[in-house]
Amino acid sequence: MERRELIQWLVATAGLQALDTLDASDLLALGRDVHRRGAARALAPHAKSNVSVAAERILPGAGVAGVTPFIDKMLADWYTPDERRRFLAGLPELDARARARAGVDFLACAEADQIAVLTALDDEVTALRAARGNAANQHWFAMLKYLTVYAWCTSEAGMRALGLFPLPGRYDGCAPV
Amino acid sequence: MRDVTDFDAIVVGSGMTGGWAAKELTELGLRTLVLEAGRAITPERDFVEHKPPWEMPFRGLGDRRAVAARQSRQGNSVSFDEWSHVFWTDDVDNPYTTPADRPFYWFRARQVGGKSTIWGRQVYRWSDLDFEANLRDDIGVDWPIRYADIAPWYDHVERFIGVSGQAEGLAHLPDGQFLPPMEMNCVEQHVKERMRAHFGRDRVLTIGRVANLTVPHLGRAPCHYCGPCHRGCITLSYFSSVNATLPAAQATGRLTLRPFSVVRNLVHDPQRNRVTGVRVIDAVTKTDRVYTGRIVFLCASALESARILLNSRLANSSDQVGRNIMDHIKWGGASGDFEGWTDRRVIGNRPNGIYVPRFRNVTARHPDFIRGYAFQGGAGRGGWQDGLRAPGIGAALKARLTQLGPWSMNFEGFGEMLPRDTNRATLHPTLVDTWGIPTLHIECQWSDNELAIHRDMSVAAAELLESAGAKNIEPSTRGPSTPGGTNHEMGSARMGRDARTSVLNGWNQSWDLPNVFVTDGAAMTSSGCQNPSLTYMALTARACHYAVEQLKRGDL
Repeated sequence: MERRELIQWLVATAGLQALDTLDASDLLALGRDVHRRGAARALAPHAKSNVSVAAERILPGAGVAGVTPFIDKMLADWYTPDERRRFLAGLPELDARARARAGVDFLACAEADQIAVLTALDDEVTALRAARGNAANQHWFAMLKYLTVYAWCTSEAGMRALGLFPLPGRYDGCAPV
Repeated sequence: MRDVTDFDAIVVGSGMTGGWAAKELTELGLRTLVLEAGRAITPERDFVEHKPPWEMPFRGLGDRRAVAARQSRQGNSVSFDEWSHVFWTDDVDNPYTTPADRPFYWFRARQVGGKSTIWGRQVYRWSDLDFEANLRDDIGVDWPIRYADIAPWYDHVERFIGVSGQAEGLAHLPDGQFLPPMEMNCVEQHVKERMRAHFGRDRVLTIGRVANLTVPHLGRAPCHYCGPCHRGCITLSYFSSVNATLPAAQATGRLTLRPFSVVRNLVHDPQRNRVTGVRVIDAVTKTDRVYTGRIVFLCASALESARILLNSRLANSSDQVGRNIMDHIKWGGASGDFEGWTDRRVIGNRPNGIYVPRFRNVTARHPDFIRGYAFQGGAGRGGWQDGLRAPGIGAALKARLTQLGPWSMNFEGFGEMLPRDTNRATLHPTLVDTWGIPTLHIECQWSDNELAIHRDMSVAAAELLESAGAKNIEPSTRGPSTPGGTNHEMGSARMGRDARTSVLNGWNQSWDLPNVFVTDGAAMTSSGCQNPSLTYMALTARACHYAVEQLKRGDL
């Protein structure tokens, strides 16, 4: 990740506030992590920043959950070339819609505008799903959202939040909620 | 005078039945060689059930491209995933063919422990409803044994492996040596009570009988309910060769276990009409050598054992080797929702479901088919997986993911398949595996009887759910499963009463070659609808004791 984009990402995701809570070794680790994550394979730097911010808006905490490297890995090593192209071809819509709405790129616009852009895309996918069922899963935004949700739910932070980790070590078939 | 042999006994395969043969034969005093085609397994290194998804490259979605390239067939098994894929064979190294319009899944596991590491662990006894079935219906050949012959061996096996279950007193699904049963959840208990009120003793719902420990047993710890048993079990809490039988065999000091040993064929002495050993290809160096032994147990899995016999051109005077392949038909069933219990949830991952023993053709005759099926299934509340495509973003979406869905319950049928000699594996005329060994061409398809069973599953499952007050009942719309897909393949070297129509006698002993025993699924004369591993294990233990008696009397 470029330094400029890191700062944009931190500002856009309120990450700067989180930095206050970290000690020096955490900050060093974060720096190494950011550097390591910089080696994206399918996502160009700008696309990667857009994915990071969009994922954080779709599910707050996505950044901590490692959603962006997972999406990059899936695009590079899992999806078919067609699927990857569809995703990468759709992603610039974030900027196009942000510019139409707020006059600036997705990363630069206000959080409320980012949410509005994503909500509109989500509504479109929901309408598409009502009309065409699972074919809607092919939409680039449906891919982005699915990957974000899946990655968060299978991350340590997500599994803790969902009550799935750590394992209880016992079975109760009729426990209180 | 006896020839000097490398070993007293050679066991081909280290899985479910090979492990049992190793344990029984070594405990009975035989110096035993166990040959395993695949690698060694070290629980501390190879069992990965506690590895969380975030440590996996694809977080549980699997390496799609690698699976497509190397495991496109094995990948269809229900317990194949990103963690456990290493416990299945490579389809490129281990090819087989089928007619283009008749797929067959041959799921194979080549490592120490074989498929006993990845099995479903459901264990049910057979009864004379099963052992007398072929005779009663005039199908295939009659079993050479009855329940009384195998019952003590079921006891013997169950006492060692540890089976948790609930005694129900059903004549056609005999109770066994049970450890305390696992618990049913609220909705399962409700459905059980409603079914009892509606169907009485005709359709019983019980907790699955499963080879997972609920209490400490013979030095193994009880289950801790982590869930994915097919990735191994570091606490040895379910039965497998690696967890139980092979260590017991090792403890005798008479076991030699040789991984990376691919058996090509049996070696035959025509003058004595005995097998003198087996020819093995080293999986790594691809060089071959012969090991000699006084008796040979084929425990390589149903189709692999048949393949070894076919490649040996032995033990097949009946022409039944490779024929009568059976599996269990699946994918009929139903699911439904239950209102209520919204203040209740399940904690922990119970590695077991519920079981509805066969109820068709037990007393009344069904007009459309003979034999029957059992249901497996269970109830639960939907979790985050149901929200993967949910609308919304932000905090609202996160809240949706953390909410539990309504309770729902499903029943999935496992149906009996009839033996037919046209369901057959033959040696492929040209195709060989990566070790140069001729592979199989498999032709296997369902008959009208299985298809009628499959249709009835969905009708009856919906009936059960309706009787229990379920809403939104959805009978399965899936067609029949692919033959082989249940991984209960069996029958390819069947037992019988007549050397002209069967491969093995009532002791799993080759009619043609008295010092050859086949005790895996190949030996099965009919398929029942119960998960078959318990019966394979009981037959193996029984055959081992018989073989050692015969050996001591000098009859082999």
